[in-house]
This record gives sequence, C-alpha cells and structure tokens, in this order.
Amino acid sequence: MGTYIVRRLLGMIPMLFLITVAVFLMMHAAPGNAFDAILNPGIKDMAALKQRLIESAGLNKPLWWQYGHWITQFVQGNWGYSFTQHQPVITLIGPALRNTLLLAVMAEIMILAIGIPVGILQARNPYGRFDYVISTFSFVLFSVPYFILAIFLIYFFAIDLGIFPAQGAVGTGPGAGSFVDHVDHAFLPALAIALVSTTVYSRYTRGSMLDVSRKDYVRTAYAKGLSGSLVFRKHVLRNAMIPIVTQFGYDIGGLVGGAVILEGLFSYQGMGLLTINAVNGRDYPVIMATSLLFAVGVLIGNLVADILYAVVDPRIRYN
Amino acid sequence: MATQGTTARVSVSTQVRVSKSPTRLAMERFMVNKMAIISVIVLLLIVILSLAAPLLTHYNPNMQDLANTDAPPSALHLLGTNSQGMDYLARDLYGGQRDLLIGFSDTVFIMFIGMVLGGIAGYYGGWVDSLVMRICDFMFNFPFLLLIIILSSIFNTTGVWLLITVIGLTGWPGVTRLIRGLFLNLRESEFVLSAKIAGAGPWRIIFKHMIPTVMGTLVVNATFQMAYMISAEAALSVIGFGVQPPTPTWGNVLSGALDYFTLRTEPWAWLPPALLITITILCINFIGDGLRDAFDPSFEK
Repeated sequence: MGTYIVRRLLGMIPMLFLITVAVFLMMHAAPGNAFDAILNPGIKDMAALKQRLIESAGLNKPLWWQYGHWITQFVQGNWGYSFTQHQPVITLIGPALRNTLLLAVMAEIMILAIGIPVGILQARNPYGRFDYVISTFSFVLFSVPYFILAIFLIYFFAIDLGIFPAQGAVGTGPGAGSFVDHVDHAFLPALAIALVSTTVYSRYTRGSMLDVSRKDYVRTAYAKGLSGSLVFRKHVLRNAMIPIVTQFGYDIGGLVGGAVILEGLFSYQGMGLLTINAVNGRDYPVIMATSLLFAVGVLIGNLVADILYAVVDPRIRYN
Repeated sequence: MATQGTTARVSVSTQVRVSKSPTRLAMERFMVNKMAIISVIVLLLIVILSLAAPLLTHYNPNMQDLANTDAPPSALHLLGTNSQGMDYLARDLYGGQRDLLIGFSDTVFIMFIGMVLGGIAGYYGGWVDSLVMRICDFMFNFPFLLLIIILSSIFNTTGVWLLITVIGLTGWPGVTRLIRGLFLNLRESEFVLSAKIAGAGPWRIIFKHMIPTVMGTLVVNATFQMAYMISAEAALSVIGFGVQPPTPTWGNVLSGALDYFTLRTEPWAWLPPALLITITILCINFIGDGLRDAFDPSFEK
C-alpha cells in the first residue's frame, strides 16, 4: 500500500509538469507583463526604466530559463505579487482557500447526509411508491442547472424569507468573521451544490444496493436465517458503499475548483471568485497560482479515490 | 439467426413480410414513451418560437426604447423591458436562437472530435491509445477559464462562435473516452476482423463499420451533451465569460437580471429565461432517456 501511494505520487509529477508548462506558456503568450500593470505611466524616462526592470527580472532570458526560474520560485512559496490587489498572491490564496474548503465540506456533508439515506430507503423498497416518487423527482432536479437552482434558493431563502444571506462569505456587524457567520454565509451556496449532487448519490446508492442484493452471498445470508435488516446492514450496505466511496474521492478533487460559477453568483470570496476577478483584471500571477491549485486538487482527489477504493475493498491489490 | 429463420418460414406461408430493422424497432419503442414524446413536442415548440422570433415580435432585441426603461409587462412590451429599454420578450425569443445554435454546433463539434480521436485510440490501441488518453487526462486537469482568456485575447472579441470554439475545445475528452472504451470492445469482434480481411482501411472500418454499430449509444450521449452545452452557455454568462452582452442569449438575459432589486421586484425579467433554460434541458434529458430505453431495452430504468 505504502509503495503504491509513493508510486502514484511520483506518477503525478509528469502531469503536474505538463500543466505548469502549459499554464506558463499561456501566460507568456497573453498580452502585457507585470510592469505594464504596476508602473505609473507618469514616470520620466519610462522606456529605459522598463528595459532595466525587464533585464533584472530575467524577462529577456530564454523561455526555458524563465520557466525554471518561475517554477523554483513557485515551489519555494514565492508566488509573486497580484497586479490588481498589490499583495503577495499567497496572502490572497489563504483566506480564499479556507472559504472554498468550508463551502466544500458543508456541501459534502449535505450530500452524504441526504443522498445516501434516501438511496438506502429507495433500495429497501424498490419499485414502490416512495422509490418511484423520489426517482422522478431526482430526474427533474438533476435536469435543473445548479445555478438556476441557486437563483431560486436566493429568491426564496434570502429575498423572500430573509433567513440566509445571499452575498459574500462574511457579514458585517459584531458577529462578522466568526465561525457561525462563515457557516451562515456558506449555507445557500452549499445547498445549491448539494441538491443536484444528492440526486446523483441517491441514484448511485440505490443502484449499487440493488446490484449487491442480487448476489449469491446475500441469498446465503438469508438462507442462514439472518433477519432482513441484519442482512441489509451487514451484507448489502457495506458492499454497496464501495462505488460510493470511490465517487466521493473523485468529488474531493473537484471541490477545490468545482464551485467557480456558484462562487461568482453568490460573490462568495473563495478560490472561484478569486480566479474570476483575476481573469477579468488580467491578474496573471493569481491566475497561475489558482490554476495550478485546481489541477493539484484534481490530481490529489483521484489519488484519494484510488486509495479509498483499496481501503474499502480488500479484493483490490496494488502491486 | 434463429429469428431470421422463423421470419422466413412465416413469410413463405403467408405474405412477403420484411422484418423490421433495429432502428425501426427503436423508433417504435420511442414512440410509445409518453414523457419522451411530450418532450419532443415541447422542444419543437421552443425551437419554432426561437426561429420564428422575427414573426412573433416586431422589436429588435437590442433596440433601446428609452421612453420605457425598466417597464413592467404591458400591451406594448409583453414581458417588460430592461434598464436600457430592451424588450424582454424579444430578447428571450432571439436568445433561444443563440442557445440552440451553441448547443447544436458544440454537440456536433465534440462528437466529431470524439469520434476521430476516440476512434483512433480504440481502433489502434497501444501507444496511440496511451497518447490520446494522456491528452484527455491533461484536458480534464486543465483549467478552462484560462483557455477562454487566451482565446479572447487572440481574437479580441467574445462572440457566439468564439464561445462555441471554447466550449468545444474543452468539452471533448469525456466523449473521446467513451468512444475509445466502446471501440476497445469492438475491435476484436468478427465483423471488424472480416472487414480487415476484406482489405478495408482503418478509416473505412472506423466510420463505416464500428461507428454505425455504436450509433445508438452515441446518439444518446450526444443528446445529454447538448443539454450540458446549453447549461454551460448560461453558466458562463452568469459569471461574465459568456457571449458579450448585449447580444441576446438566455444566459445573458438571466445574468442581466440577477441584482437584488430585479430579483425581488421584476420576476418577468429572470423567470422566463430561467424557465426556458430549465425546460429545454429537461426536455432534452427526457428525450435522451427515451432514446436510451429505445436503443437498449435491457437498460435498467
């Protein structure tokens, strides 16, 4: 297992390398450079100053040297300065990543807490009335784009009822910045993410449990005389969770960058909104940092999915 | 073979009866699926409403009626106007043209790339397969917002076709994987082998023999892709990376009406585009579901 994880981690390096190269080349191809954004156009003898700065920053060096320079700096945690916010990128990323992770964790709790129990209830009584109603409802809900669902949530919960805030990640007033305040603000966007995914998880759980309950060992368990609920709990449920756990792993990767649209819609100050603003402001250092973090998130998520898969299913052996 | 034999015997004893083709059988199964047929009708209605927009409203979607800005629905403007006096009904109708164009062209675009790349990867296998799959992995990890800026800075515009290109260029890996998987199963089958022995080249085998075999799955997948594309257009508009406003698209009409004031007091501004997007996607999904059941009756509902 240990060697497998190490091998997978090493296997991530070529992909990471390719992504950094692509991000670097794209930023290089994009118009403008750092000094255009920072320098005051009123400075006397601008051209000469710019030339000096470009030389001192190595921007006239060959491309491979610039890439090497950038990647070494990046690995050491020196992610450059934001053009538009005039702060080190890393101090911008910190709070944004925290907000996004809070949002992700809340969404994931809602998904698991609703999706899996609903799926289990459906599988207990397949093709019954409850199963039919939920299946139809899920199909319709699954077809509603999540940002439109979010607009309706804003309309009902934030505007009509005024229970939850619909803007930002922190509020104003005495309670601003507390944990409760953060959770309060993350609630609606998290619910918007969760509602659609819930239908996916309940469908998965239902399908997986129905598959397992047709297996021979389940029949054997019944034949031994075990009670229905015991067979369900110990034999069906545990085996049915294997694909769910894997799906959960893949979801983790998407969570870091998965809510870009919703963060934009809710003006929720997370990684997504940071990227949107950076793209609008052509803020390249921020874009490079967030893009790489998104990619790393996906890669780590895939790794976690594979490891979880091996943990819950002893039949899988990685050698 | 057995069924063909019985059919032949029956046709001898009674009249000449042609056995139904698989496509014909699938169509028959589709026609009895109520939800799918209702969806086809509703979707056709939306398509007709969008295409016939010039006949249904005499307003230009970008014309500013400055005497009536932010107007509520009235006989003059059936769905009111926005803050620049543009008629909402006209914008919703004309917006449908763009959305359907985006949905349709991107689906064709992505299915084409998927068939060529997935087809090559699945047909040849080996290093070609690994190469294509690594490119797919890369695309899955690559942040697509970045591609949008680069492309918009190169073309210096954000029109409908640029958006179609961007969504197309980022959307193909999923389909490519699917087709590659289907082809890996097919390449060892007898009819491919016999085509090879008969001297057919790879292109002929891929496009004349293998793709027709998996056509049912591809059509179903293309349907779901189209729903996703329409949703992607609107999603990008909501965060400001869609087609440049004031070009009317459903996403643009929706995103122009998302401030607190409009949401609270002017439901006629945001409800129609939101419902149009949702109903269109719902219909496409129901049709896709119906097609899947029709092509593969064994699929568990």
